[in-house]
Amino acid sequence: MQGLAPGLVLALALLLAPTLSRTLVRTLVWALAKARFLTRRLRHGPAFGGTRGLRQGLPRTLVRSLPRAAGRLLLAGLLLAGLLLAWLIGIGSMTARASPPAEELVRAELLVEPQAIAPGQPFWVGVRLRLKPGWHVYWRNPGDSGEAPTIAWHLPPGFTASSIAWPTPVRIPIAHLVNFGYEGETMLLARIAPATELSEAANIAADVTWLVCERECIPGQASLSLSLPVARGDTVPADRAKELIFAAARGDLPRPSPWRARLALEPENLTLAVDAKPLATAAVRAAYFFPNAETLVRHAAPQELSIVRDGLRLRLERSPLSTAAPADAGGVLLVEEGDGTTTKRHAFDLTDVLIDQAPAANQSVSPMAVLHAAALALLGGIILNLMPCVFPVLSIKVLGLIEQAGTSRNQVRRHGLAYTAGVLVAFAALGAALFGMRAAGAEVGWGFQLQSQMAVVLFAYLLFAVGLNLSGVFHLGSSLQGLGHGWARRSGLSGSFLTGALAAVVATPCTAPFMATALGFAFTQPTPIALIVTLALGLGLALPYLGLTLAPQLIPRLPRPGPWMETLRQLLGFPVYATAAWLIWVLAQQVSPAGLFAALAGLVLVGLAAWSFNRSQSAGEWGRRLARGALLAALCGVAATVVAVELDRHGPASAAPSAAQHEPFTQARLDELIATGRPVFVNLTAAWCITCLLNERTALATTAVEATFAAKGITYLTGDWTRRNPEITRLLEKYGRSGVPLYLLYSGDGAPAVLPQILTSATVLAAVARIPELGGERTSVPDTTKE
Amino acid sequence: MPLVARRTVLAVGLGGAAAIALHVVPAPTFAYAAAQARIGEPAPAFSLADSYGKTISLGDFKGKTVVLEWTNHDCPYVRKHYGGDNMQMLQKKWTAEGVVWLTLISSAPGTEGYVTGEEANKLTAQRAAAPTHVLLDPQGDVGRAYGAQTTPHMYVIKGDGTLAYMGGIDDRPTTRLEDLKIAKNFVDAALTELAQGKPVSRTTARPYGCSVKYLY
Repeated sequence: MQGLAPGLVLALALLLAPTLSRTLVRTLVWALAKARFLTRRLRHGPAFGGTRGLRQGLPRTLVRSLPRAAGRLLLAGLLLAGLLLAWLIGIGSMTARASPPAEELVRAELLVEPQAIAPGQPFWVGVRLRLKPGWHVYWRNPGDSGEAPTIAWHLPPGFTASSIAWPTPVRIPIAHLVNFGYEGETMLLARIAPATELSEAANIAADVTWLVCERECIPGQASLSLSLPVARGDTVPADRAKELIFAAARGDLPRPSPWRARLALEPENLTLAVDAKPLATAAVRAAYFFPNAETLVRHAAPQELSIVRDGLRLRLERSPLSTAAPADAGGVLLVEEGDGTTTKRHAFDLTDVLIDQAPAANQSVSPMAVLHAAALALLGGIILNLMPCVFPVLSIKVLGLIEQAGTSRNQVRRHGLAYTAGVLVAFAALGAALFGMRAAGAEVGWGFQLQSQMAVVLFAYLLFAVGLNLSGVFHLGSSLQGLGHGWARRSGLSGSFLTGALAAVVATPCTAPFMATALGFAFTQPTPIALIVTLALGLGLALPYLGLTLAPQLIPRLPRPGPWMETLRQLLGFPVYATAAWLIWVLAQQVSPAGLFAALAGLVLVGLAAWSFNRSQSAGEWGRRLARGALLAALCGVAATVVAVELDRHGPASAAPSAAQHEPFTQARLDELIATGRPVFVNLTAAWCITCLLNERTALATTAVEATFAAKGITYLTGDWTRRNPEITRLLEKYGRSGVPLYLLYSGDGAPAVLPQILTSATVLAAVARIPELGGERTSVPDTTKE
Repeated sequence: MPLVARRTVLAVGLGGAAAIALHVVPAPTFAYAAAQARIGEPAPAFSLADSYGKTISLGDFKGKTVVLEWTNHDCPYVRKHYGGDNMQMLQKKWTAEGVVWLTLISSAPGTEGYVTGEEANKLTAQRAAAPTHVLLDPQGDVGRAYGAQTTPHMYVIKGDGTLAYMGGIDDRPTTRLEDLKIAKNFVDAALTELAQGKPVSRTTARPYGCSVKYLY
């Protein structure tokens, strides 16, 4: 509610602005700016040094300032009056034309942490700059104007100096521009590695240059030098006072980020995604990104923070000067955490920021590669028809076809086309949602919809309702006509279209083997190509039914309609119930027992809704009213359980079937194992991935494989992608996959072998054959595992 | 009713995917409107008084290549380019070729670099500068329309009125005079390419220097 007030004021201001005279608006803005500038001076002016941490380094837009306009205007008025008075009585002149000499603005000192240095032992040095209040020097990216300080070291032979370690900067707004830099005092650190042999005291010197600005800018420089005695013996004597100074200076450096960051590029905007679950749950109040590169971001533009389940997203405005492929997307992320009473600030150095080129026109893909991927997707789509989640839906559709055998061929053809259109539209919508989310910075992959509890429970209810319909608990359409009037056999074309859409929606979790490669390819491509591949997949799914309707000579060969159809229809309910049961099991991996109970209660309510719907159609006046009431209540109950399941956040964190020797996958653990040269098997799986589960049951959980793994000391890492996990998504992407399963075998000597997606025990055993048994000699079995 | 119910069921199913999207897609927030000049697009039109009080419009120079130079004579970076005769040399070289050179001053009254027309003419004479016109923009409107950040900040506009170059004058963002000798001058390069009828190969560079002393 609080947020409404500034919004209203803003809306009002926007409405009124054109009617106000230009001058009036300007005066207001100017006064606001001046007030902010002066109050800032007042706050920070007297504190010579150490103002760095105090300053609100975050964007303050005019929007937020407006409600405070009155107070500020008053303050500005008072201040201006005071200043005018001061000027009148000649205490000071406000004109800064006669700039003070550079030496008075910046005091530069060279400091060394230890009292003496020892051969080969690196030590910290720092150039401390103390500035006159109100003046600032710049960070490595100075922002919209200015220049970063430079240090040229003059060191004895054999000495080397690191580049400058820059303290976390603050944001310094000047008019509508923004600079990054330091006020008060700052220390630019470097680490010097001395020669391995030292005989006499070493002289180090630094030529430092800087630009110091208030509104005006003055370049300055200093030549600083120190003589460093060499320590006697091995121990380097410490200097307590210096250690404190350097510890404080190191405390001002941004910490290396424990999280990876990605930058999605769009023509006008950039989205920085930092996958940091701890930050998502912490009370992050504000965040700001200082880019290392000078031409990446529009420095003065506000940065919009959003907190998502996996971390932070910062929406930045792209600089019109940025190149198509920025070389360095790194920078410093400043995060402000507050619990209402205290505010903690954390600065993280984001290096190795992955750059996501959103639809880039300059990437050329060979048409053959697109065709190949589309063909694979088409094949995968056809196979999807046989998956337990799709088969019943399709069967019912075919049943409908049999009934329509008597109708005109054109009519049949139109149904086929409507069904195909339904499939394609649903696939296009799913594809658009998926690629849209990726563009927004979310790490998602195919089957992502099953990583959401709400989606899983909705799918389960939907399939359960379909099953009840097949069993005859309720009928849609005119209820008295009975046979064959299932909801998937609506005589209208819209019925065919909706069946197609339903088939597409329920088909998506059943990732068939051929689809992974095609979709993996699609994910690395610009959106149009990705959509072509997605649509090819949809066309494959629609093809069997479409083929049947387009080849009408086949229809007479289908069995004649009769009572057997009702039996078959009821029978087909059971695979649908099974699919619903499977979805509930998937949900059980994601939610707590309470959430699971809510879902099961929801199923009962779906049953009640179906039954009362049926009663409402046949009962008398009062019975109908009662049934409708019950139906409404049941539907409300269903909705409530969906909400309950969605809000359940206490689920089991990981739920992949794990035998005793399995460890959960983390990239850190994998890196550690690779570093020690031990063989590792990585299984990336998800509870909703049938292929994965089949592989686990038939190939991996066999005694032979388990015994061999144990004998060879292979560490088995299981990565569970049932819920979203960016670390796993990244590993999948590294191998060109957009979904699970992925099996990697690291034999302890470099790149892993990628195992096929359909595993047999024999494949696995052949793959691990070249890894020697524990304590044994390495055998020379030829490598047969490469795909 | 049955058809509606069926559609509702499906809509709920399809809506599942959309619901997840809502978790991750940030809600749209207040859009930030900023005037920005863009390469290849028409340069923002303007009319300003020059140092003699005459009104000069960008539209007056249709068909001619126009250079815009943001300046502030007290800024150390500007001093480097005028002190080293670099800016004057460029002005003379290119105005002789028919290029229109407009020097703009967006410093607000009372801030560094603000001059009256008379003072501007005196500076031009003192420094032996050769701009076609010196334009006074004390309100900063033109500076903001172009997104001028620094002094110097350079723009090159083609004869057809589209922007061909914007950014720093060269690749040495320093105040050192000796850097002029080794610097690669992007404005000179862009004008040379345009004179030869070629497209400009480097269209942007980081502008460097003092901030433009805007009023707000």
